[in-house]
Amino acid sequence: MPTKVERWKDEAYGMEIRDHLERFASEGFQSIPEDERDAWFERFKWWGLYHQRKGQESYFMLRVGTPMGRMTPDQLRTVGEVAREYATGPVDNPEFGEAYADFTTRQSIQLHWIDIEDVPAIFEALESVGLSTMQACGDSWRNIVGSPVAGRDADEHVDVWPIVQKLHDRFKGNDLYTNLPRKWKVAVTGDYRGAGQGDINDLAFEPAVKERNGETIEGFNVRVGGGLARKEPRFARDIDVFCRPENVPAVAAGLSGLFRDYGDREDRFNARMKFLVDEWGPEKVRSVLQEEYVDDELPTAGEDLRDEYDYNAGRADAPGDYVGVYEQRDGQHFVGLSVLVGRMAAEDVIELADLADAYDSSMIGLTQRQNVIVGDIADEDLSEFLEESLLEEYSPDPHPFMRGSIACTGTEYCSLSIVETKNRMVRYARWLRDNVSVPEGVEDFHIHLSGCTASCAQPQIADVSLRGMKTRKDGDAVEAFDIGLGGGLGETPRFADWVEMRVPADEVPGYVANLLAAYEREREGSESFRSFVADRDEDDLAGLAEPEETSYEDPYLANTKMTWYPYAEDDAMNASPAPTGPNDDPLATDD
Amino acid sequence: MADRILKANAFTTFDLLEGSVEGHGFAEAAPAVLNVRTARRDPDEVTLELELDNVDLDSVPPHADRVTLSPAEARTLATELREAADRIDGAGDGGENL
Repeated sequence: MPTKVERWKDEAYGMEIRDHLERFASEGFQSIPEDERDAWFERFKWWGLYHQRKGQESYFMLRVGTPMGRMTPDQLRTVGEVAREYATGPVDNPEFGEAYADFTTRQSIQLHWIDIEDVPAIFEALESVGLSTMQACGDSWRNIVGSPVAGRDADEHVDVWPIVQKLHDRFKGNDLYTNLPRKWKVAVTGDYRGAGQGDINDLAFEPAVKERNGETIEGFNVRVGGGLARKEPRFARDIDVFCRPENVPAVAAGLSGLFRDYGDREDRFNARMKFLVDEWGPEKVRSVLQEEYVDDELPTAGEDLRDEYDYNAGRADAPGDYVGVYEQRDGQHFVGLSVLVGRMAAEDVIELADLADAYDSSMIGLTQRQNVIVGDIADEDLSEFLEESLLEEYSPDPHPFMRGSIACTGTEYCSLSIVETKNRMVRYARWLRDNVSVPEGVEDFHIHLSGCTASCAQPQIADVSLRGMKTRKDGDAVEAFDIGLGGGLGETPRFADWVEMRVPADEVPGYVANLLAAYEREREGSESFRSFVADRDEDDLAGLAEPEETSYEDPYLANTKMTWYPYAEDDAMNASPAPTGPNDDPLATDD
Repeated sequence: MADRILKANAFTTFDLLEGSVEGHGFAEAAPAVLNVRTARRDPDEVTLELELDNVDLDSVPPHADRVTLSPAEARTLATELREAADRIDGAGDGGENL
């Protein structure tokens, strides 16, 4: 018996939802029948729209999928302009102002406070520059992730950009793959950095070489069934398949077809590919793929290049991100800018696009660490570019504590979260910068802050993992975090060890300060933080540091989940103006 | 320390309760998560699940407990909980009125 969501999808899903969206947009939010809203909101996801949380009825988050995070300056400018015009709500954010764009861990863009009435105009603006929200959410091929500097990066095995464009064109809006049992996340990696983070995707193409008849063939090994969510994290498993670049679309079609046909449509909690791989094992995935979905004989896996991976790998000998200045194959440079928690004011987005244009850059890249890259900076222009005032805020050489932070959306907009996230992470980073000395040799220190046990900020793969919880302090319920240590990707990926539960949010910076002091005191030589954690047992880790109150002050300690918007002057749920019309004025309701 | 067994998000019934575990020769207290859930597909029973924070417990391994209730049993439990809550409220009112 299919689930409720499956029944809704059977009635209407995919491309046709666009017509319904246009109709509701022209007739207004209230034209969506109240008893059908759950079904419509679920279907809207296929076109990149998520209804915001309780207290924010009638407002939507809109997600734009950019394959491998790659954009032109023109596209970036359009995103900024759309954000400036449409992504504004009744109350400003105290850190980020009136309008802003969020760069996500899957190299997409999220805008908030979107009114359904504005959706047709937004689609028109986005599509005029080749951007789309199609399949940005929902049960289908999601945005394909990988290195945005593919084809430019000097540290590269295969340029995967042409391959990803082919995949994007074939699997977006394709009826055969419109309605999968659950989301389908694909990573294509062609660099030596491991920047695709394939280990946490449903399907991963990983760089590899294979010897055949004395010839060395460049291509990919195939892994399936990775993912962090639902308290059941899995790294993608090797199915012993090597794939030439030209065969990637056929193998991808086969595996997503296999998932479409054999994935669990009766229990959404059990629907992701990782659970099918758990049930079948990699050998059966391979044999069913071979027998039922591909014509050519699948070669066995080649030799991978994982020992070179450094992206979010916690290595002491290489940075784990793209922040900084790097050489391109053509002698120009790409410059990675740190965007704290991935949020950038709309005006800054536009300014960045103009800046990229002014330097003749034809490529902007969004990274999985929520940062942004400007490509194609000529050698002779580099020092002038680095002096631009916008780079003071979005720095290619930020303080280590301002560099490595990722945060999910949190109680600001998300209906799952139980704590405030992005603004808190900004405050944590600033406090750490101002009050804690960085252990020698540490350039980037990754703190991933997630608002609940869903894993949108990838909390299991960070140096310090923070996951939202509640605790009691001085008699009051306060927002808190479970704390994990020492996770990351790389050659041998590792999930964090959870060491503390329910640390009050205002004692987390003190904990991190004490932790880093212990690391500096006890580490051996240039040992990375990640290996320092890996070398210690459970008891050692638990005794490493204590939470502590410090000069850090947390304005969001009370239960932000119960507010209609955490930063409103009157934040009580019943003070919400929602649902509202496009001008943010409350709509008349029956009560 | 092991990771949590139960998930905790805004739909969790209680993410912060005071719990305790008692056995022969041991008794410990710890914060707890308590959640009521039903299957998304054709639910025919109610599940009540409880997990005490394992970081605060030495006497038992990290775990969560579950009981399943028929709709009638769930209503019986709800009625008893309501009556018990009313008794507390009633006792409180009485105290203030004296």
